[in-house]
Formats: sequence, structure tokens, C-alpha cells
Amino acid sequence: MRWWSGLRRRLRVAREIYEGMFVAPYRSQIYREYLEQRDLFLLAGFSDLLGAPNPVAFYTLELYPELIEQFHRWHLRMGMEHSPQGGFRCC
Amino acid sequence: MLLAREVLFFGGKGGVGKTTLASAFALLAAERGQRTLLVSTDPAHSTGDILELAVGPEPREVLSRLWAMEIDPVQEADRYIADVKARIADTTPPRLMAEVERQIDIARVSPGAEEAALFDRFTRIMEEAGDRYDRLIFDTAPLGHTLRLLSLPEQMATWISGLIGRRKKVNALGRMWRRVAGAAAGDGAPPHDRVLAALEQRKARFERARAVLTDARRSAFVLVATPERLPLLEAEKAVGTLDRYGIPVGAVFLNRVLPDDVTGEFLERRRERESRYLDQAAATFSGHTVHHVPLQETDVHGLAALRRIVACLHESERASLS
Repeated sequence: MRWWSGLRRRLRVAREIYEGMFVAPYRSQIYREYLEQRDLFLLAGFSDLLGAPNPVAFYTLELYPELIEQFHRWHLRMGMEHSPQGGFRCC
Repeated sequence: MLLAREVLFFGGKGGVGKTTLASAFALLAAERGQRTLLVSTDPAHSTGDILELAVGPEPREVLSRLWAMEIDPVQEADRYIADVKARIADTTPPRLMAEVERQIDIARVSPGAEEAALFDRFTRIMEEAGDRYDRLIFDTAPLGHTLRLLSLPEQMATWISGLIGRRKKVNALGRMWRRVAGAAAGDGAPPHDRVLAALEQRKARFERARAVLTDARRSAFVLVATPERLPLLEAEKAVGTLDRYGIPVGAVFLNRVLPDDVTGEFLERRRERESRYLDQAAATFSGHTVHHVPLQETDVHGLAALRRIVACLHESERASLS
């Protein structure tokens, strides 16, 4: 059965080369896009915290418990060690 | 026939007798066997004073089949804030609780919070139309406030829809990312998105309120004015605004019209002036039924006085049918 495991190994290498060439850049692009859209959602739902008027601020307040963790990751990603003044007080 | 609708709004300039007419209609509906809820959305409540019964921020059966409540925006906002705080305890580490609560308290005192809370309660009450209550009768704040309140379902639903669209995009990208990343994205199925669920629930509620508001078979706005210049002008403007929001106007009530049998030189002169306003109102509101309610000898408060108004309503109903 040596020919079988040899074939399997070669197939795996081929797949890794393919993923490295085509899927990996695509994957990071999707991830960036995903993070960007998540940040945009935070901005749309909580723009009042950054000083921009938000007519539904009172109603999005109920989403606050679900999003506080995400806000924390956002400001870390933006290079701020602590949550910015006036924003979510996550840390 | 106005009382065939499940939901009636009474609005007009301050002091024209909105509360009196709304209470009289509620009494009439209850006496005809409908389970009726009379709701005051005016921050300066006077429903309890007119009925001469204790009315609070929760519905209370004040007479047989007649419930009454005065929405308290302060209490509604406090309740909502308390609810958010209770839920936050599940997702926030204990050491952050104080800071997070501070942030929520800031939102509580922000401008618009109480209006939003009032509107929230309003949409919840609208859900009970035809369910817990056969008739909902709203005694509203002076027109400007009320028109704004009634325009909110459309505006708010539009904003929430925008947020829902964004949220769905985020979720779609999240799914794509999990597909291409496989194990790197973490484990298995995406968690149930409680953010999206909360947004959709809210949007659905706003849209249901709007659907009832704009359905001429289910609801109507009753404009109240006195035969005087400013109340009539305000009512005329309101007709235009209500049209724009697609809210049907059911009737116009001219309150405190001088009765035919009163005489005297002074009153004759007043009547002359008044008849011009009555003609003008008939022309302005030609597309609507205009009812007259005569001026009473005494102030209207207490059930006995209110029943006299109910009798007038009976009469004008008969007149408009014949």
C-alpha cells in the first residue's frame, strides 16, 4: 500500500501549494472585509458615542450587552490600549 | 361610524377638550360592551382628573369594561434602562460592571430618551388592539408632539432596517470567512446572532404599529378644535401632516359650540362670530364629517358630566347617519 500513501502525500502537498497561492490571500481579504463591516455596524448602531447624532440610540442601547466584547477588540486593533473617552467603557 | 375602528386617536391644540371627548368616547364604547382601554400620551395628564378616578401608568379597570392608563415616560425609560442593565450582567465581567452601568446611565439622561421610551410603550399597546382590548382610545398630547409620535414608526423602522441590512452583511461575511478559513476561524456553526434577533423584533413591532395606524378600517385620527381661529388653523395643518404620513382622519369635532337656546346681546354677537368659524370649518374640512359638541353650563369633570357629553355624541351620531 506504499503507492497509496505516496499518492496521498503528493496530493496534500499539491493542495497546500494551491491554498497558499490562491486561497490564503483571498482568505485574509475576506477576514479584513469581515472586520471592516463589523466596525461599520458598531459605528452605525452607536454613532452617538462618537458624537454623531443617532436617532435610534435609545433602542440600540439594548444591543450594548452583546457588543461590548467586540468593541473591546476594536480599540485594541486600532492601537488604543484603553477604551476611548466617551465610548463603551469596556476596560 | 367612528367606534367601528379598533384604534382612535384624539388630537388638537391644547385646551380644546381632547381629553373630554376621548373619555366620553371611551365611556360610550365601554357601555356598548366593548373592552376599552383609554390611554393618555400627554405628559400633562388630565384623564384621571376628568374621570375623577385614580388613573396610573398601568392599565386599571376603572369602570366595567373600561380600562385607563396615563403613560409615564420617566417610568418607561427607567424600566428599559433597568432591563438593559439586568441583561448586561450576563455578558460583562464583574470588574467592569460599575463603568458599564455609568455609561448606560448617561444614555438614560440623553435627549430623546423619554420620547423613545414613550414611543416604545405606545407600540406595545398598539399590539393589544383587537386582542386584549376591543377598542384603544388615545388621548394624545397637543398636536405637534403627537404628529411626531405618529411619524416615528416609519422613521424608526427605516433606521432599524438599515442596521439590519448591515448586520446581515456582517453575518454573511462571517459565514464566508468560516468557510474559507475552516479550523482557523474557530469551532463549527456560527452562534445565534442575538443582535440581529433584537433588531428584527423591534422592526417588526414598529411595522405592526404602522400597519394599524395607516389602515382606515382599523384606526382613525379624530381632530378636536373649538370654533376659534387658532385651534382651527392648527387642525387644518394637522390634516395636511396626517395625509402625508398616510394616517386616516376619521372626523372633526368642534367643541364648545354655543347652544341655540342661549340668548343675550353679548352671546348673539359671539354667535355671529362663531357661525363664521363654523362655516369656515365646514369648508376647510369638507372631505370629513364635522360634528358639533355644545358648550356646557358647567366644566366637564366626573362621570355625570361626561355622560352629558356622551348624550351629545349619540345625537351627532344620529344626525350624521340621517
